[in-house]
Amino acid sequence: MDEKIAPHLEELTRALGDLEKTGIRAEFEKLLAFRVPPEVAKESLLRKFGGKSKVLKVKDLSGNLKSFEITGRVLDLGEKSIRPQDGAQEGPSKLYTGILADETGSVMFSSWKELPGSTGDVINIRNAYTRIWQNRVRLSIGEQSLMSKIPDSPLPSLSELSGSQTKKLIDIGAADFSVGTAACVLQLSHREVLVRGRQSRVISGVLADETGRLPFTAWIELPGIDIGSIIRIEGAQVRMFRGMPSVNILNGTKFSPVKPEEAGKLAFTFESTGKDPDPIRIEEIDSRDSMFDVATAGNVVSVRPGSGIISRCPECSRVIQKASCRAHGKVEGIRDMRIKAVLDDGTGSLSVMFPRELAEIIYGKTLEEAEQLMISDISKDAVYEDLRRFLTGRYLAVRGNSSKSEYGISFVAEKAWVPEEDLAVRVVKLLHRLGPAEEDGQERNSQVSGGGIDLA
Amino acid sequence: MLKREVAKRVFAREFEACRELEKSARPDSEALDLKTPNLLISPLGLILNRIFVVGVITELDSIGTQNDMWKARIVDPTGAFTVYAGQYQLEASIFFSTVQIPAFIALTGKARIYEPEPGSVFVSIRAEEANVVDEEIRNRWVVDAAEQTIDRLEAFSDALASGYRGEKLREYFLEKGISSELTEGISIALERERAPQEFVKLLRASIREGLKSLDLDSGNNAGAHADQKEFVLELLRDMGGNRGVDYAAFVDTAVSRGIPEELVEEVVRSLLAGGQCYEPRIGIIRLVG
Repeated sequence: MDEKIAPHLEELTRALGDLEKTGIRAEFEKLLAFRVPPEVAKESLLRKFGGKSKVLKVKDLSGNLKSFEITGRVLDLGEKSIRPQDGAQEGPSKLYTGILADETGSVMFSSWKELPGSTGDVINIRNAYTRIWQNRVRLSIGEQSLMSKIPDSPLPSLSELSGSQTKKLIDIGAADFSVGTAACVLQLSHREVLVRGRQSRVISGVLADETGRLPFTAWIELPGIDIGSIIRIEGAQVRMFRGMPSVNILNGTKFSPVKPEEAGKLAFTFESTGKDPDPIRIEEIDSRDSMFDVATAGNVVSVRPGSGIISRCPECSRVIQKASCRAHGKVEGIRDMRIKAVLDDGTGSLSVMFPRELAEIIYGKTLEEAEQLMISDISKDAVYEDLRRFLTGRYLAVRGNSSKSEYGISFVAEKAWVPEEDLAVRVVKLLHRLGPAEEDGQERNSQVSGGGIDLA
Repeated sequence: MLKREVAKRVFAREFEACRELEKSARPDSEALDLKTPNLLISPLGLILNRIFVVGVITELDSIGTQNDMWKARIVDPTGAFTVYAGQYQLEASIFFSTVQIPAFIALTGKARIYEPEPGSVFVSIRAEEANVVDEEIRNRWVVDAAEQTIDRLEAFSDALASGYRGEKLREYFLEKGISSELTEGISIALERERAPQEFVKLLRASIREGLKSLDLDSGNNAGAHADQKEFVLELLRDMGGNRGVDYAAFVDTAVSRGIPEELVEEVVRSLLAGGQCYEPRIGIIRLVG
């Protein structure tokens, strides 16, 4: 028996380290006792403890990742006692929470096990996983995770990591808590909100630099700052809403207008950032967790069910089925129209949501006209079918916000149009890239020359 | 994350040269599980599952024992795609049951490969969704497909010239900003392809021809010349309509109206190459759409 399982144990040791200490040996034996064949037992343990684990940096973390390895410095550590629920057998347990950082960013973590170090120490965690908690990624360290303290680590020191890093807007993401940046104020408006029962005035708007745009909210007055101002911010807080980061200027945030002579050294001006964003490839959108106010173009490869005429709950605006809202019961629905379509440019695909105003423009029919179609066809799906016939295969360009979820990228369009670019110019460029024709191409070329445009 | 497969843009010439990408050939891919779709790999290293094509549908047959399967041919400037739609491709089947051929159509589908015996391989598309589109969309697709194919061609030639393989190639491409998927594909393709240069040359020639055949109405033509071409096209429309016209009779009529014979031939040839007209039978030409 031992001879049979020895090679498997060896392999497990190679992949997972000391089997005795981590209790993997015991689990292996347990599976064998249930007559699980040794190979299968080995595989399931490798899967469970993440034998082929990837090594990730903080900025690579996204929701619902499993069994990866990460190394970071503990910036903050606290513990909470969790009272067991009534009737649970286990005694009270402790949850350790804090912030872990490496040179790429920082992330909140929660651990069910005591950490092998304290604030300031570098620890290595294997078989960690992530969850989305309060709109942010949270690193979870569970029973199956293996942790070790790394005494001499090249990671930046505690003070360097906990300071507010200066970043370009496009690099600000869920891995940041506190950032500094220099950007231009593109939009700005004041509004009154209720914060803990008190009426307060906040400023919200849009910041931009040469890399992109982000929404911001200021919870304090911003004297001397208006649309067009270029400001430098330090120690602003990053908050996440629906996968989109926003820059929050709080009491502790330092801000100052950038002087004109200094602004000349920046890679952007109010004029350059105010321009419409150039369309980018979907691949690029796919490479980030979220993007604010970007433009892209592609073909409508599919119009999704749920497009067309829908009913919404008058209370909460949720889409309702069979005249019942899932929160408010039976309601008199409000008619609305929307289009959900998959846009694909060959490098990536997006699920784009077109609200009514845009749906009416790209479909060329108003809600009322679409309703007429539905009535004359006596079919609920008439509008959906018509939309499919009209849109499938077409080119569309969209501008709006994107965010990634477990179903891919969702994009809420704020503008949509049919892209018009000069194909002849692109053709000339492409022919140039192809280089001169080789001998065997010559003859055929002369045959079709003048067929289209004269490109030579 | 259950991600939708991206619809790749690929010309028929590269598509038909695709071969199956066995799962075992991708040892270091992370997404290796049961949900991994069936993948093909092109000689240039394009890894594909879903594709999006715009071309001319020139043939349509109802096949299968109960006529429950459609087989269609879609032509692009480099060759033709074979498309199937069966009972489980309901949307596409309904489309094929109503479409008039010839027409410009846009289609998304999954790449399939069938190898009844070693050496004979059939690559086809299982249709998902399709629609009739206009020539403008077709032209744009040709340019898009050309652009993405040339991106690949350049990366592939670069890899070939560098002589790097495996890990070294990965580092080299990472620095150049080439996607990890293409890097992996090129890595595998380089191991497999026996005469990659030949295919690269062939594809370059096809794309060059395809791009030149596009009729973009760009106004680059000399005025009178363009007018005469327009006239030939108009005449073809008048005489043939959608039924087609005898080529010899058409040339005679055109010449009798003062158009030089060479020009008529040239126009018809460019229309044929551009997919705007085709020959349903030898000696008969017919306009598309």
